[in-house]
Amino acid sequence: MSRQLYLNFIKDNRWKYIVNGLGTTLQITFFAVILGIALGFLIAVIRSTYDKTGKGKILNFLAKVYLTVIRGTPVLVQLLIIYFVVFASVDINKIIVAVMAFGINSGAYVAEIIRSGIMSIDDGQFEAGRSLGFNYTQTMIYIILPQALKNVLPALANEFIVLLKETSVSGYIAIQDLTKGGDIIRSQTYNALFPLLMVAAIYLIMVLFFEKLVSILERRLRNSER
Amino acid sequence: MSVEKKETLIQVQNLTKTFGGSVHALNGVSTDIKKGEVVCVIGPSGSGKSTFLRCLNRLEDPTDGRIIFAGEDLMDPKTDIDMHRQKMGMVFQHFNLFPHMSILKNMTIAPMKLQKRGKDEAEGQAMKLLERVGLADRANAYPSQLSGGQKQRIAIVRALCMNPEVMLFDEPTSALDPEMVGEVLNVMRDLAKEHMTMVVVTHEMGFAREVSDRVIFMAEGKIVEEGTPEEIFTAPKTERLQSFLSKVL
Repeated sequence: MSRQLYLNFIKDNRWKYIVNGLGTTLQITFFAVILGIALGFLIAVIRSTYDKTGKGKILNFLAKVYLTVIRGTPVLVQLLIIYFVVFASVDINKIIVAVMAFGINSGAYVAEIIRSGIMSIDDGQFEAGRSLGFNYTQTMIYIILPQALKNVLPALANEFIVLLKETSVSGYIAIQDLTKGGDIIRSQTYNALFPLLMVAAIYLIMVLFFEKLVSILERRLRNSER
Repeated sequence: MSVEKKETLIQVQNLTKTFGGSVHALNGVSTDIKKGEVVCVIGPSGSGKSTFLRCLNRLEDPTDGRIIFAGEDLMDPKTDIDMHRQKMGMVFQHFNLFPHMSILKNMTIAPMKLQKRGKDEAEGQAMKLLERVGLADRANAYPSQLSGGQKQRIAIVRALCMNPEVMLFDEPTSALDPEMVGEVLNVMRDLAKEHMTMVVVTHEMGFAREVSDRVIFMAEGKIVEEGTPEEIFTAPKTERLQSFLSKVL
Protein backbone atom coordinates (compact mmCIF):
# COMPACT_ATOMS: atom_id res chain seq x y z
CA MET A 1 0.00 0.00 0.00
CA SER A 2 2.59 2.56 1.05
CA ARG A 3 4.80 1.31 -1.75
CA GLN A 4 1.99 1.97 -4.19
CA LEU A 5 1.39 5.42 -2.75
CA TYR A 6 5.09 6.17 -3.05
CA LEU A 7 5.22 4.86 -6.60
CA ASN A 8 2.14 6.73 -7.80
CA PHE A 9 2.44 10.07 -6.05
CA ILE A 10 5.92 10.64 -4.60
CA LYS A 11 8.39 9.07 -7.01
CA ASP A 12 9.57 11.40 -9.78
CA ASN A 13 7.34 14.10 -8.26
CA ARG A 14 4.28 12.47 -9.81
CA TRP A 15 1.98 14.35 -7.46
CA LYS A 16 2.71 17.36 -9.62
CA TYR A 17 0.55 15.85 -12.38
CA ILE A 18 -2.36 15.91 -9.96
CA VAL A 19 -1.72 19.37 -8.54
CA ASN A 20 -1.00 21.03 -11.87
CA GLY A 21 -3.95 19.21 -13.43
CA LEU A 22 -6.18 20.39 -10.63
CA GLY A 23 -5.02 23.96 -11.24
CA THR A 24 -5.86 23.63 -14.94
CA THR A 25 -9.28 22.11 -14.21
CA LEU A 26 -10.13 24.92 -11.80
CA GLN A 27 -8.91 27.53 -14.25
CA ILE A 28 -11.03 26.16 -17.11
CA THR A 29 -14.09 25.74 -14.86
CA PHE A 30 -13.84 29.19 -13.33
CA PHE A 31 -13.63 31.10 -16.60
CA ALA A 32 -16.13 28.81 -18.34
CA VAL A 33 -18.62 29.49 -15.52
CA ILE A 34 -18.17 33.24 -15.96
CA LEU A 35 -18.56 32.99 -19.73
CA GLY A 36 -21.55 30.68 -19.25
CA ILE A 37 -23.28 33.06 -16.86
CA ALA A 38 -22.68 36.06 -19.11
CA LEU A 39 -23.92 34.24 -22.21
CA GLY A 40 -26.79 32.57 -20.38
CA PHE A 41 -27.95 35.83 -18.88
CA LEU A 42 -27.93 37.56 -22.24
CA ILE A 43 -29.79 34.75 -23.99
CA ALA A 44 -32.31 34.42 -21.14
CA VAL A 45 -33.12 38.14 -21.25
CA ILE A 46 -33.44 38.10 -25.06
CA ARG A 47 -35.75 35.08 -24.92
CA SER A 48 -37.99 36.26 -22.10
CA THR A 49 -38.18 39.78 -23.52
CA TYR A 50 -39.49 38.22 -26.70
CA ASP A 51 -41.90 36.02 -24.74
CA LYS A 52 -43.23 38.96 -22.73
CA THR A 53 -43.24 41.79 -25.25
CA GLY A 54 -42.78 40.23 -28.69
CA LYS A 55 -39.74 42.43 -29.28
CA GLY A 56 -36.45 41.19 -30.75
CA LYS A 57 -37.70 38.57 -33.17
CA ILE A 58 -34.38 38.10 -34.98
CA LEU A 59 -32.34 37.98 -31.77
CA ASN A 60 -34.77 35.47 -30.34
CA PHE A 61 -34.44 33.33 -33.46
CA LEU A 62 -30.64 33.37 -33.24
CA ALA A 63 -30.83 32.52 -29.54
CA LYS A 64 -33.06 29.57 -30.31
CA VAL A 65 -30.67 28.28 -32.98
CA TYR A 66 -27.81 28.53 -30.49
CA LEU A 67 -29.79 26.65 -27.83
CA THR A 68 -30.85 23.93 -30.24
CA VAL A 69 -27.37 23.30 -31.65
CA ILE A 70 -25.55 23.42 -28.31
CA ARG A 71 -28.04 21.31 -26.42
CA GLY A 72 -28.43 18.88 -29.30
CA THR A 73 -24.77 17.89 -29.65
CA PRO A 74 -22.28 16.42 -27.15
CA VAL A 75 -19.95 18.83 -25.40
CA LEU A 76 -16.95 16.72 -26.40
CA VAL A 77 -17.84 17.05 -30.08
CA GLN A 78 -18.20 20.80 -29.61
CA LEU A 79 -14.79 20.96 -27.96
CA LEU A 80 -13.19 19.02 -30.79
CA ILE A 81 -14.88 21.16 -33.45
CA ILE A 82 -13.79 24.41 -31.82
CA TYR A 83 -10.20 23.18 -31.49
CA PHE A 84 -9.70 21.23 -34.70
CA VAL A 85 -12.03 23.15 -37.03
CA VAL A 86 -12.64 26.69 -35.84
CA PHE A 87 -9.12 27.29 -34.59
CA ALA A 88 -7.45 24.77 -36.92
CA SER A 89 -5.07 27.25 -38.46
CA VAL A 90 -4.68 29.53 -35.45
CA ASP A 91 -2.03 29.11 -32.80
CA ILE A 92 -4.09 29.57 -29.66
CA ASN A 93 -3.74 28.60 -26.02
CA LYS A 94 -5.63 25.33 -25.56
CA ILE A 95 -6.98 26.43 -22.20
CA ILE A 96 -8.69 29.37 -23.90
CA VAL A 97 -10.20 26.95 -26.41
CA ALA A 98 -11.52 24.81 -23.55
CA VAL A 99 -12.91 27.85 -21.70
CA MET A 100 -14.73 28.91 -24.86
CA ALA A 101 -16.09 25.45 -25.58
CA PHE A 102 -17.32 24.77 -22.06
CA GLY A 103 -18.50 28.36 -21.54
CA ILE A 104 -20.51 28.39 -24.76
CA ASN A 105 -21.92 24.99 -23.88
CA SER A 106 -22.85 25.94 -20.33
CA GLY A 107 -24.35 29.23 -21.50
CA ALA A 108 -27.14 27.35 -23.25
CA TYR A 109 -28.14 25.52 -20.09
CA VAL A 110 -27.75 28.59 -17.88
CA ALA A 111 -29.94 30.53 -20.32
CA GLU A 112 -32.82 28.10 -20.00
CA ILE A 113 -32.44 27.92 -16.22
CA ILE A 114 -32.54 31.71 -15.84
CA ARG A 115 -35.37 32.00 -18.34
CA SER A 116 -37.43 29.50 -16.39
CA GLY A 117 -36.72 31.62 -13.31
CA ILE A 118 -37.89 34.79 -15.03
CA MET A 119 -41.03 33.11 -16.33
CA SER A 120 -41.79 31.70 -12.87
CA ILE A 121 -42.24 35.20 -11.45
CA ASP A 122 -45.86 36.26 -11.35
CA ASP A 123 -46.85 38.81 -13.99
CA GLY A 124 -48.24 40.96 -11.21
CA GLN A 125 -44.68 41.69 -10.07
CA PHE A 126 -43.91 42.99 -13.52
CA GLU A 127 -47.06 45.07 -13.64
CA ALA A 128 -46.44 46.49 -10.18
CA GLY A 129 -42.99 47.60 -11.27
CA ARG A 130 -44.23 49.14 -14.48
CA SER A 131 -47.16 50.85 -12.74
CA LEU A 132 -44.74 52.63 -10.41
CA GLY A 133 -42.98 54.05 -13.46
CA PHE A 134 -40.04 51.69 -13.87
CA ASN A 135 -39.23 50.94 -17.49
CA TYR A 136 -38.78 47.39 -18.76
CA THR A 137 -35.06 47.18 -17.99
CA GLN A 138 -35.38 48.72 -14.52
CA THR A 139 -38.23 46.37 -13.67
CA MET A 140 -36.06 43.43 -14.74
CA ILE A 141 -33.06 44.58 -12.72
CA TYR A 142 -34.74 45.70 -9.50
CA ILE A 143 -37.74 43.40 -9.29
CA ILE A 144 -37.72 40.36 -11.55
CA LEU A 145 -34.12 39.15 -11.71
CA PRO A 146 -33.39 39.20 -7.95
CA GLN A 147 -36.39 36.97 -7.37
CA ALA A 148 -35.74 34.80 -10.43
CA LEU A 149 -32.12 34.16 -9.53
CA LYS A 150 -33.00 33.18 -6.02
CA ASN A 151 -35.55 30.69 -7.31
CA VAL A 152 -33.13 29.04 -9.71
CA LEU A 153 -30.07 29.02 -7.48
CA PRO A 154 -30.23 25.25 -6.87
CA ALA A 155 -30.56 24.54 -10.59
CA LEU A 156 -27.69 26.91 -11.39
CA ALA A 157 -25.48 25.28 -8.77
CA ASN A 158 -26.24 21.92 -10.32
CA GLU A 159 -25.26 23.21 -13.74
CA PHE A 160 -21.89 24.38 -12.41
CA ILE A 161 -21.24 21.01 -10.79
CA VAL A 162 -21.95 19.36 -14.13
CA LEU A 163 -19.64 21.85 -15.84
CA LEU A 164 -16.80 21.14 -13.41
CA LYS A 165 -17.02 17.44 -14.13
CA GLU A 166 -17.47 17.89 -17.88
CA THR A 167 -14.10 19.60 -18.13
CA SER A 168 -12.63 16.13 -17.57
CA VAL A 169 -12.83 15.56 -21.33
CA SER A 170 -10.29 18.35 -21.92
CA GLY A 171 -7.65 15.66 -22.35
CA TYR A 172 -9.05 15.05 -25.84
CA ILE A 173 -7.36 18.21 -27.04
CA ALA A 174 -4.24 17.34 -25.04
CA ILE A 175 -4.87 19.60 -22.10
CA GLN A 176 -3.34 18.20 -18.91
CA ASP A 177 -6.24 18.70 -16.56
CA LEU A 178 -6.90 16.74 -13.38
CA THR A 179 -8.27 13.68 -15.18
CA LYS A 180 -5.46 13.66 -17.72
CA GLY A 181 -2.92 14.05 -14.90
CA GLY A 182 -4.20 10.94 -13.18
CA ASP A 183 -4.23 9.10 -16.46
CA ILE A 184 -0.61 10.02 -17.18
CA ILE A 185 0.41 8.58 -13.80
CA ARG A 186 -1.53 5.42 -14.62
CA SER A 187 0.32 5.03 -17.91
CA GLN A 188 3.68 5.46 -16.17
CA THR A 189 3.11 3.20 -13.17
CA TYR A 190 0.75 0.67 -14.74
CA ASN A 191 -1.42 1.15 -11.64
CA ALA A 192 -4.93 2.33 -12.38
CA LEU A 193 -6.48 2.12 -8.93
CA PHE A 194 -4.53 4.73 -6.97
CA PRO A 195 -4.26 7.60 -9.45
CA LEU A 196 -7.83 7.29 -10.65
CA LEU A 197 -9.26 6.96 -7.14
CA MET A 198 -7.27 10.04 -6.15
CA VAL A 199 -8.68 11.95 -9.13
CA ALA A 200 -12.22 10.84 -8.32
CA ALA A 201 -11.82 11.81 -4.66
CA ILE A 202 -10.59 15.29 -5.58
CA TYR A 203 -13.59 15.88 -7.87
CA LEU A 204 -15.88 14.67 -5.12
CA ILE A 205 -14.32 16.95 -2.51
CA MET A 206 -14.60 19.94 -4.84
CA VAL A 207 -18.27 19.21 -5.49
CA LEU A 208 -19.04 18.75 -1.79
CA PHE A 209 -17.26 22.01 -0.96
CA PHE A 210 -19.22 23.83 -3.66
CA GLU A 211 -22.52 22.36 -2.49
CA LYS A 212 -21.79 23.51 1.04
CA LEU A 213 -21.09 27.01 -0.25
CA VAL A 214 -24.36 27.07 -2.17
CA SER A 215 -26.43 25.86 0.76
CA ILE A 216 -24.97 28.61 2.95
CA LEU A 217 -25.83 31.16 0.27
CA GLU A 218 -29.34 29.73 -0.09
CA ARG A 219 -29.96 29.93 3.62
CA ARG A 220 -28.79 33.53 3.75
CA LEU A 221 -31.05 34.47 0.85
CA ARG A 222 -33.99 32.76 2.49
CA ASN A 223 -33.34 34.47 5.81
CA SER A 224 -33.50 37.85 4.14
CA GLU A 225 -37.17 37.24 3.53
CA ARG A 226 -38.42 36.75 7.03
CA MET B 1 -72.07 69.51 -7.81
CA SER B 2 -68.82 71.39 -7.18
CA VAL B 3 -67.15 68.59 -9.07
CA GLU B 4 -68.59 69.85 -12.35
CA LYS B 5 -66.47 72.97 -12.28
CA LYS B 6 -63.17 71.23 -11.61
CA GLU B 7 -60.66 70.68 -14.36
CA THR B 8 -60.48 67.39 -16.20
CA LEU B 9 -57.52 65.19 -15.24
CA ILE B 10 -58.12 62.22 -17.50
CA GLN B 11 -60.07 62.39 -20.68
CA VAL B 12 -61.04 59.08 -22.23
CA GLN B 13 -62.36 59.08 -25.77
CA ASN B 14 -63.82 56.12 -27.59
CA LEU B 15 -61.53 53.64 -25.87
CA THR B 16 -61.58 50.25 -27.58
CA LYS B 17 -59.76 47.06 -26.75
CA THR B 18 -60.08 43.83 -28.66
CA PHE B 19 -58.39 40.55 -27.82
CA GLY B 20 -57.38 38.43 -30.77
CA GLY B 21 -59.19 40.75 -33.16
CA SER B 22 -62.70 39.58 -32.38
CA VAL B 23 -63.41 39.70 -28.65
CA HIS B 24 -64.39 43.20 -27.62
CA ALA B 25 -63.28 43.81 -24.04
CA LEU B 26 -63.90 47.52 -24.46
CA ASN B 27 -66.26 48.88 -27.06
CA GLY B 28 -65.96 52.64 -27.35
CA VAL B 29 -65.75 53.94 -23.79
CA SER B 30 -65.68 57.69 -23.28
CA THR B 31 -65.65 59.56 -19.99
CA ASP B 32 -63.84 62.36 -18.17
CA ILE B 33 -62.23 62.02 -14.77
CA LYS B 34 -62.04 65.33 -12.97
CA LYS B 35 -59.43 66.41 -10.50
CA GLY B 36 -60.38 65.32 -6.98
CA GLU B 37 -63.21 63.16 -8.22
CA VAL B 38 -63.84 59.68 -6.85
CA VAL B 39 -65.23 57.45 -9.56
CA CYS B 40 -66.32 53.89 -8.86
CA VAL B 41 -66.68 51.48 -11.74
CA ILE B 42 -69.12 48.64 -11.16
CA GLY B 43 -70.48 45.90 -13.34
CA PRO B 44 -70.64 42.15 -13.82
CA SER B 45 -67.43 40.18 -14.38
CA GLY B 46 -66.33 40.29 -17.98
CA SER B 47 -67.88 43.72 -18.41
CA GLY B 48 -64.47 45.23 -19.21
CA LYS B 49 -64.20 47.34 -16.09
CA SER B 50 -60.75 46.05 -15.15
CA THR B 51 -59.58 46.34 -18.74
CA PHE B 52 -60.80 49.93 -18.76
CA LEU B 53 -58.80 50.73 -15.63
CA ARG B 54 -55.69 48.98 -16.88
CA CYS B 55 -55.88 50.88 -20.14
CA LEU B 56 -55.75 54.19 -18.26
CA ASN B 57 -52.05 53.71 -17.45
CA ARG B 58 -51.54 51.51 -20.48
CA LEU B 59 -50.73 48.34 -18.59
CA GLU B 60 -53.13 47.10 -21.22
CA ASP B 61 -52.63 48.57 -24.66
CA PRO B 62 -55.90 49.92 -26.04
CA THR B 63 -56.62 48.96 -29.63
CA ASP B 64 -58.13 52.34 -30.40
CA GLY B 65 -59.25 55.58 -28.81
CA ARG B 66 -57.56 58.36 -26.89
CA ILE B 67 -56.48 58.89 -23.31
CA ILE B 68 -55.50 62.44 -22.41
CA PHE B 69 -53.81 62.61 -19.01
CA ALA B 70 -52.86 66.05 -17.67
CA GLY B 71 -53.01 67.42 -21.21
CA GLU B 72 -50.85 64.73 -22.80
CA ASP B 73 -51.99 62.04 -25.18
CA LEU B 74 -50.95 58.74 -23.63
CA MET B 75 -51.60 56.88 -26.87
CA ASP B 76 -48.99 58.93 -28.72
CA PRO B 77 -45.97 56.65 -29.28
CA LYS B 78 -43.72 59.64 -28.52
CA THR B 79 -45.21 60.05 -25.04
CA ASP B 80 -42.96 58.77 -22.27
CA ILE B 81 -45.47 56.45 -20.61
CA ASP B 82 -43.09 55.57 -17.75
CA MET B 83 -42.94 59.24 -16.80
CA HIS B 84 -46.74 59.44 -16.65
CA ARG B 85 -47.12 56.20 -14.74
CA GLN B 86 -45.16 57.80 -11.92
CA LYS B 87 -48.12 60.14 -11.56
CA MET B 88 -50.71 57.36 -11.68
CA GLY B 89 -50.60 55.12 -8.64
CA MET B 90 -52.07 51.68 -9.06
CA VAL B 91 -53.36 49.16 -6.54
CA PHE B 92 -53.91 45.58 -7.65
CA GLN B 93 -56.29 42.88 -6.57
CA HIS B 94 -53.38 40.65 -5.55
CA PHE B 95 -51.32 43.41 -3.88
CA ASN B 96 -48.15 42.62 -5.86
CA LEU B 97 -45.77 43.71 -3.14
CA PHE B 98 -42.15 42.85 -3.89
CA PRO B 99 -41.47 39.79 -1.69
CA HIS B 100 -37.69 40.19 -1.74
CA MET B 101 -37.80 43.66 -0.19
CA SER B 102 -38.76 44.91 3.24
CA ILE B 103 -41.90 47.03 3.53
CA LEU B 104 -39.83 50.19 3.74
CA LYS B 105 -37.81 49.19 0.68
CA ASN B 106 -41.02 48.37 -1.19
CA MET B 107 -42.15 51.90 -0.55
CA THR B 108 -38.92 53.78 -1.16
CA ILE B 109 -37.37 52.02 -4.15
CA ALA B 110 -39.42 53.83 -6.79
CA PRO B 111 -39.13 57.33 -5.25
CA MET B 112 -35.38 56.88 -4.80
CA LYS B 113 -34.61 55.37 -8.20
CA LEU B 114 -37.11 57.27 -10.32
CA GLN B 115 -37.54 60.61 -8.60
CA LYS B 116 -33.95 60.69 -7.36
CA ARG B 117 -35.08 61.50 -3.87
CA GLY B 118 -32.72 61.03 -0.95
CA LYS B 119 -32.98 57.97 1.27
CA ASP B 120 -33.81 59.95 4.42
CA GLU B 121 -36.47 62.01 2.72
CA ALA B 122 -38.08 59.00 1.02
CA GLU B 123 -38.04 56.94 4.20
CA GLY B 124 -39.41 59.87 6.19
CA GLN B 125 -42.39 60.11 3.88
CA ALA B 126 -42.84 56.34 3.90
CA MET B 127 -42.84 56.25 7.70
CA LYS B 128 -45.41 59.01 7.87
CA LEU B 129 -47.67 57.11 5.50
CA LEU B 130 -47.15 53.89 7.42
CA GLU B 131 -48.18 55.65 10.60
CA ARG B 132 -51.30 56.90 8.91
CA VAL B 133 -52.36 53.38 8.01
CA GLY B 134 -51.29 52.02 11.39
CA LEU B 135 -48.42 49.89 10.16
CA ALA B 136 -45.37 51.85 11.25
CA ASP B 137 -44.21 48.94 13.40
CA ARG B 138 -44.01 46.70 10.32
CA ALA B 139 -41.59 48.90 8.37
CA ASN B 140 -38.80 46.32 8.49
CA ALA B 141 -41.02 43.29 8.01
CA TYR B 142 -41.28 41.41 4.74
CA PRO B 143 -44.53 41.01 2.77
CA SER B 144 -44.77 37.29 3.59
CA GLN B 145 -45.19 38.22 7.27
CA LEU B 146 -48.26 40.36 6.70
CA SER B 147 -51.95 39.57 6.42
CA GLY B 148 -53.83 40.30 3.23
CA GLY B 149 -55.39 43.45 4.61
CA GLN B 150 -52.01 44.70 5.78
CA LYS B 151 -50.47 43.91 2.40
CA GLN B 152 -53.12 45.89 0.59
CA ARG B 153 -52.72 48.87 2.91
CA ILE B 154 -48.99 48.76 2.19
CA ALA B 155 -49.69 48.54 -1.54
CA ILE B 156 -51.79 51.69 -1.28
CA VAL B 157 -49.17 53.68 0.58
CA ARG B 158 -46.44 52.34 -1.71
CA ALA B 159 -48.27 53.95 -4.61
CA LEU B 160 -48.80 57.13 -2.58
CA CYS B 161 -45.04 57.45 -2.00
CA MET B 162 -44.72 58.58 -5.62
CA ASN B 163 -47.09 61.49 -4.88
CA PRO B 164 -49.42 60.51 -7.72
CA GLU B 165 -52.11 62.75 -9.16
CA VAL B 166 -54.55 59.89 -9.48
CA MET B 167 -54.94 56.50 -7.83
CA LEU B 168 -56.26 53.55 -9.79
CA PHE B 169 -57.73 50.67 -7.79
CA ASP B 170 -58.32 47.32 -9.49
CA GLU B 171 -60.72 45.38 -7.25
CA PRO B 172 -58.59 46.13 -4.18
CA THR B 173 -60.69 44.10 -1.76
CA SER B 174 -61.67 41.12 -3.92
CA ALA B 175 -58.81 38.89 -2.76
CA LEU B 176 -59.27 39.68 0.94
CA ASP B 177 -60.84 37.73 3.74
CA PRO B 178 -64.15 39.42 4.63
CA GLU B 179 -62.93 40.72 7.98
CA MET B 180 -60.04 42.52 6.31
CA VAL B 181 -62.08 44.41 3.75
CA GLY B 182 -62.99 47.13 6.21
CA GLU B 183 -59.45 48.19 7.07
CA VAL B 184 -58.58 48.62 3.40
CA LEU B 185 -61.77 50.52 2.61
CA ASN B 186 -61.07 52.83 5.56
CA VAL B 187 -57.73 53.81 4.07
CA MET B 188 -59.41 54.48 0.74
CA ARG B 189 -62.16 56.45 2.42
CA ASP B 190 -59.54 58.67 4.09
CA LEU B 191 -57.88 59.20 0.74
CA ALA B 192 -61.17 60.24 -0.80
CA LYS B 193 -61.72 62.73 2.01
CA GLU B 194 -58.37 64.30 1.17
CA HIS B 195 -59.63 64.84 -2.38
CA MET B 196 -57.31 62.39 -4.04
CA THR B 197 -58.51 61.65 -7.55
CA MET B 198 -59.53 58.00 -7.53
CA VAL B 199 -60.83 55.50 -10.03
CA VAL B 200 -61.99 52.38 -8.22
CA VAL B 201 -63.11 49.17 -9.86
CA THR B 202 -65.03 47.43 -7.11
CA HIS B 203 -67.68 44.97 -6.08
CA GLU B 204 -68.20 46.80 -2.79
CA MET B 205 -71.53 48.47 -3.52
CA GLY B 206 -71.72 50.01 -0.06
CA PHE B 207 -68.38 51.68 -0.56
CA ALA B 208 -69.27 52.88 -4.05
CA ARG B 209 -72.50 54.34 -2.76
CA GLU B 210 -70.94 56.06 0.22
CA VAL B 211 -67.67 57.40 -1.16
CA SER B 212 -68.01 58.06 -4.87
CA ASP B 213 -68.87 61.31 -6.55
CA ARG B 214 -69.86 59.35 -9.62
CA VAL B 215 -70.59 55.72 -10.37
CA ILE B 216 -70.01 54.15 -13.77
CA PHE B 217 -71.88 50.98 -14.60
CA MET B 218 -70.29 48.91 -17.34
CA ALA B 219 -71.53 45.86 -19.20
CA GLU B 220 -70.32 44.17 -22.40
CA GLY B 221 -67.41 46.59 -22.74
CA LYS B 222 -69.58 49.71 -22.69
CA ILE B 223 -70.65 52.32 -20.20
CA VAL B 224 -74.32 51.51 -19.81
CA GLU B 225 -75.17 54.09 -17.21
CA GLU B 226 -73.36 56.67 -15.12
CA GLY B 227 -74.39 59.16 -12.50
CA THR B 228 -74.31 60.07 -8.86
CA PRO B 229 -74.57 57.19 -6.38
CA GLU B 230 -78.21 58.17 -5.70
CA GLU B 231 -79.10 58.05 -9.39
CA ILE B 232 -77.38 54.73 -9.90
CA PHE B 233 -78.47 52.92 -6.77
CA THR B 234 -81.91 54.33 -6.04
CA ALA B 235 -83.16 55.19 -9.48
CA PRO B 236 -81.46 52.98 -12.08
CA LYS B 237 -82.78 53.80 -15.53
CA THR B 238 -81.67 50.88 -17.66
CA GLU B 239 -82.93 47.37 -17.36
CA ARG B 240 -79.36 46.02 -17.44
CA LEU B 241 -78.42 48.00 -14.32
CA GLN B 242 -81.67 47.14 -12.58
CA SER B 243 -81.08 43.44 -13.05
CA PHE B 244 -77.44 43.78 -11.97
CA LEU B 245 -78.40 45.64 -8.79
CA SER B 246 -81.14 43.17 -7.98
CA LYS B 247 -78.48 40.44 -7.94
CA VAL B 248 -75.79 42.20 -5.91
CA LEU B 249 -77.72 44.30 -3.40
